[in-house]
Amino acid sequence: MTARTIFTAGALAALVAGGAAAQEVAVITPYLAQPGTQFYVDGFTAAAENFGWTVNVIDTAGDVGAVISRIEDVTIQGVDAIVINVDPAQIGAGLATAADAGIPVVGMDAGSDPLVAANVTSNGYAMAAETAVYVADRIGGAGNVVMFTFDPFPPVQARGVIADAIFGNFPDIEVLDRITPDVSDGGIADSRAQMEAVLAANPEPGSIAAVWAAWDQPALGALQAIEAAGRGGEGIVITGIDANPQARDAIAQGGNFEASVAQDFVGIGSVTAETVKRLLDGEELRQKVIYVPTELITAANVGAD
Amino acid sequence: MTGLVRRFGGIAGMLAVVLFFAINVPDTFLTLRNWLNISQQISMLAVVAACMTVVMVMGDFDLSVGSMASLSGVVAATLFTQDWSIPAALSAALAVGLLGGLINGVMVSLVGILPFVATLATLTIYSGAAFLISDGRTIFGRDIPAAFGDFARGGPVIGMAGERALVLPNLTLVALAVVALIWLVLEQTTYGRRLYAIGGNSEAARLAGVPVTWLRLSAFLFTGVGAAVAGLMYASRVASANPTQGDALMLTAIAAVFLGMTLTRDGQPGVLATLAGVVVLGVLDNGLTQMRVDSYVREVLVGAIILAAVGFSALGRRGVLGRRP
Repeated sequence: MTARTIFTAGALAALVAGGAAAQEVAVITPYLAQPGTQFYVDGFTAAAENFGWTVNVIDTAGDVGAVISRIEDVTIQGVDAIVINVDPAQIGAGLATAADAGIPVVGMDAGSDPLVAANVTSNGYAMAAETAVYVADRIGGAGNVVMFTFDPFPPVQARGVIADAIFGNFPDIEVLDRITPDVSDGGIADSRAQMEAVLAANPEPGSIAAVWAAWDQPALGALQAIEAAGRGGEGIVITGIDANPQARDAIAQGGNFEASVAQDFVGIGSVTAETVKRLLDGEELRQKVIYVPTELITAANVGAD
Repeated sequence: MTGLVRRFGGIAGMLAVVLFFAINVPDTFLTLRNWLNISQQISMLAVVAACMTVVMVMGDFDLSVGSMASLSGVVAATLFTQDWSIPAALSAALAVGLLGGLINGVMVSLVGILPFVATLATLTIYSGAAFLISDGRTIFGRDIPAAFGDFARGGPVIGMAGERALVLPNLTLVALAVVALIWLVLEQTTYGRRLYAIGGNSEAARLAGVPVTWLRLSAFLFTGVGAAVAGLMYASRVASANPTQGDALMLTAIAAVFLGMTLTRDGQPGVLATLAGVVVLGVLDNGLTQMRVDSYVREVLVGAIILAAVGFSALGRRGVLGRRP
């Protein structure tokens, strides 16, 4: 196909789109009741309104099987694109139906799959780099660091790898311990117990410079342990990832818990809409995963939003 | 005339629902592809509801079917992770269903606990067991054999529509087989007649020499195994298993049986009537989705339609809408 025919096809497509009824996109999720998902959907619908689309948001109230049914329904209805917010591995039957009908499916923080044209999400590697570099900078590139990681869960394992690399790049930073907390109780209580053991083993003030946690719960557990041990005044720097409400509170109080990273849920929603737009405009997506920038949350900006 | 309304009012209502969607979703609703699609979506509910009919003809309930469906999926998936073959894992899951049904039957019929209470308790037990076995996790991905997930996506090709094949889904075939079996059992055997007799008057049935205790116990085996079958169908459809995925089936199945009861002459449950109820619920979900009706409004509407159907039927039976029967 020459450049000229592409141009003609594009112009024709634009003409058809302009003349025909509004394009229709179905957003299907089992998780609309969860706060994060609502932000995604808000961001998506706001952007979709600008594009003049008709958006049908379908919540199956936790029922993943019903997501497949609704994908089949909107495929038969003939929507122009489908957006999912659920693990694609569990809805393969629905994805196959949509693919068979030539309807593109875009993931909104869903996961990767050959039948998903693109998945829009946050970059876990970048999030880990933000906090690991924050720790290294804050302690002046020297001191003992305690790490909380969780390698059995791939997205969290990726965060740990990045922190390992960054701390390894500072010759005077020593990783004192690399702890995998028991998460069956939510991760805070066991992290606290493990941190208490580390504190007991390292009683000297200054012997622990920082705690880097791969998500917020261990950071909160470590904070509790440090405060309970009366060592809150030693300047131990704690960081988490995800910036959940509890972590934001702790950061706002200005104590040891200094930083976390927030995903831009609304941004993921609007970038998903832009990605759908690119597909509808006939663009072939080279990137199957599209990352939306995240934001380092510290005392300086924790109250900003 | 009023007799006709009573007899055929329910059917007319169901046809009205179909007609409504045929008019409002003209291009796609009445296509063969859409109806094959609906048949697949309701297949699991059809299996649970057909089996629920077996206990409801006796005036009993089984509230544990949803959690049994979850449990059977989790059992099969867990055995897959331990490298059991597909037939072995499925057999084990069905055996769990049989056992669960047996426990329900013993509690209701031998021990004499009200079905509502007994199966509410086993609902909790089966649900807890599903969480215990799965550790609360969703089992998916490489742990699930590809052939198991492919089953729910496949089926015999029955024709072409444009360039895309029309497939008669395997899940639909399974559901049809189960419904046919239950129809045979309830309508064509002495066993089935006796269950209806128990529902009519259990004391009279006993005096007439019907072994009420054993029949009542055995009927719960149908709901147990049926729920396990539906749970496996669901697990195949999502190619995964988690400890809550079948839970929603229970209330919907009971609703389908009640909807079906509005269709029968004497207001008794019947398996074909139940199937009609299941179809109506599936059609509502499918049609309202295609009409872009908000998910939550859809739920309210479905509940309201059930109330309206059963309500009209009850008024009709009491003679409010016509002559006293």
